[in-house]
Amino acid sequence: MNLFKLSWKNIVYRPLSSGLSVLLLASGIAIILITLLTTKQLDDKFENNVKDIDFVVTAKGSRLQALLCNIFQVDTPTGNISWAKSNSIKMYPMVDKAIPLSIGDNYQTYRIVGTTPDYIDLFHGKISEGEIWSKPMEVVLGEGVATKLNLKIGTEFAGGHGLGESTHSHDDILYKVVGILERSNTVLDNLLLTSLESVWVVHAGESHQAKGSLEVKRLDDSTSKESIMTLDEFKRQDSLDNIAIEKSAAENHDEHAHQDHHDHSGHDHGIHKKIVNFDSILKTISPLDREVTGLLVKVKEGAKAKISTSAYINKMKDMMGADVAIEMQQLKQLMAPATGIMEMLAYVIMTIAGISMFIAMFNSLKDRQYEISLMRVLGASATKVFASILIEGLYIALIGFGVGWLFSHLGMQVFSSYLTEQYHYDFSGWVFIKEEVYLLVGAILIGIVSAIYPAYKAYSVDLSKTLSK
Amino acid sequence: MISVKKLTYKYKASNGISFPDFSFEQGDQALILGQSGCGKTTLMHLLSGLLKPQSGTISINQKDISKISRGEMDHFRGQNIGIIFQTPHFIEALNVLENLQITQTLAGNAIDKNRIQTTLDDLGIVHKIKSKVKELSQGEKQRVSIARALINRPSIILADEPTSALDDQNCNAVIELLKQQAQKNNATLLIVTHDNRLNAVFTKKLILS
Repeated sequence: MNLFKLSWKNIVYRPLSSGLSVLLLASGIAIILITLLTTKQLDDKFENNVKDIDFVVTAKGSRLQALLCNIFQVDTPTGNISWAKSNSIKMYPMVDKAIPLSIGDNYQTYRIVGTTPDYIDLFHGKISEGEIWSKPMEVVLGEGVATKLNLKIGTEFAGGHGLGESTHSHDDILYKVVGILERSNTVLDNLLLTSLESVWVVHAGESHQAKGSLEVKRLDDSTSKESIMTLDEFKRQDSLDNIAIEKSAAENHDEHAHQDHHDHSGHDHGIHKKIVNFDSILKTISPLDREVTGLLVKVKEGAKAKISTSAYINKMKDMMGADVAIEMQQLKQLMAPATGIMEMLAYVIMTIAGISMFIAMFNSLKDRQYEISLMRVLGASATKVFASILIEGLYIALIGFGVGWLFSHLGMQVFSSYLTEQYHYDFSGWVFIKEEVYLLVGAILIGIVSAIYPAYKAYSVDLSKTLSK
Repeated sequence: MISVKKLTYKYKASNGISFPDFSFEQGDQALILGQSGCGKTTLMHLLSGLLKPQSGTISINQKDISKISRGEMDHFRGQNIGIIFQTPHFIEALNVLENLQITQTLAGNAIDKNRIQTTLDDLGIVHKIKSKVKELSQGEKQRVSIARALINRPSIILADEPTSALDDQNCNAVIELLKQQAQKNNATLLIVTHDNRLNAVFTKKLILS
């Protein structure tokens, strides 16, 4: 039975008052820590995802939305921009990189993004299995998608239309997994990446029908072919002839006529394997009609590069260039009051915890005056008595911190599974930050400060007076 | 082994009290008697070093405790003096065993569970060893406080009205035990009281006026 045990027994003996102090301290710690953990993880995601991007070029609309959709992959697109015009931005001398994105379909709520391999390089993504797509309808998976949906190389699936849970799926042409990326802690982790052509192929005909005004242009005739096929992007289409996939978009119409609806998803039915020529599908879409959702632009080094690029983009009709740095600043400003209020609330609770601890200890010591004197009679020095009260404060601080710490991480874990499900953003409760050490020190200080006066009272107790009561 | 000379003590706003000179040998058992207000409790607090006298000397085992510092006194008291109070108090958060263990620790001794067991056994309350102190009867509490006074083998046991809260039966039992145990441990036993029931049991008496 030493002082540490004695102090512990004294705390346990008064569960209500110790419990209240612990609870208040723990709540304060938990609120501060959850706020810190959330902002820290958000900041990290932000940092990782916007690195190396100066502008987001999209159809006119909300700049913040453009950013959220094209960089963070959370909001819906502002519209589409012309592929040809976006290429002119790519050619602009001040532009270092311009990466097109085609967003609009999903697989089990995970976004399918049509892009170029540059997009993977932008986030320093690395292939861990398989390879990068080389043909339309080949897909590379982010690590998170592969794990959560349990998809393997070679798996085929139909993309769903839209970004939420879709009612309508593009089951006439199937995607095929050819590669899986390493975890990068960026948006890549939760995306399915494919070529721009895949998205065009999937939406061939359909998008034009939806638009109504645009007619599908048959470009099979050799006279116009040359002028259209000059674009580098279509060079490799020469090698796309005679690729076998289960169904071709072209032949699909025939199947409809044959009332063969039942096996639209039945890719194991070998009898329906048809030859599809992507070339012929792509040829039905004029390069002038090809569209993308947005363009991520990185400018070259140089003081004027940003200004001049911005001016160039914003001069174009039907397009806008959102400056990532400015929009991020605004996004942070939007979030600042919320986290500020949380933090303030937490400090108020911490202060109340300190005061309540002080009152609880002070009251309990008033009841324990005789016990304190008794300890002295039994040979304890005044310093030992002082120490034993401080230890009590320290215990409460440590337990309060421990409980608060545990709850904040558990809470984050629960909260993060919700976030992951809702936004396909990976948060985790098991992220640890250096501020936790400061919080521990803070909690210990609160424990000591609120115990110091009661401890002094115990130290200076008048033995004779107390014992003759 | 205990001797008091020219001892005076003065509370604020009161006349000072002077105590007669006296001395006892190791193993003596004596009553200190007197009417209420004559300074019995003050004398006891002086003897146990809880109060410092204005003048005079108190020497226990050749040590003048009126001259030593507060910290030294706390340690000396823990080692050499066992005290039994009128109403027994304990550390409520601890059970009987733990109260006796902390008594050993605070005096600077190692925990000796055997000693605790035999002492409680001698006092007939070893079955209460795991009890919470709050659950003990008045008589049991007084026995535990005797055990506490004895546990560190002090050379002197001071008891302040140890029987005033007890009925006759418990009073006799407690006094018997106290005498027995003091003798067994060869401790000097001084009982401050105005309880006439104890008069017949002790031969040595110091009367304060």
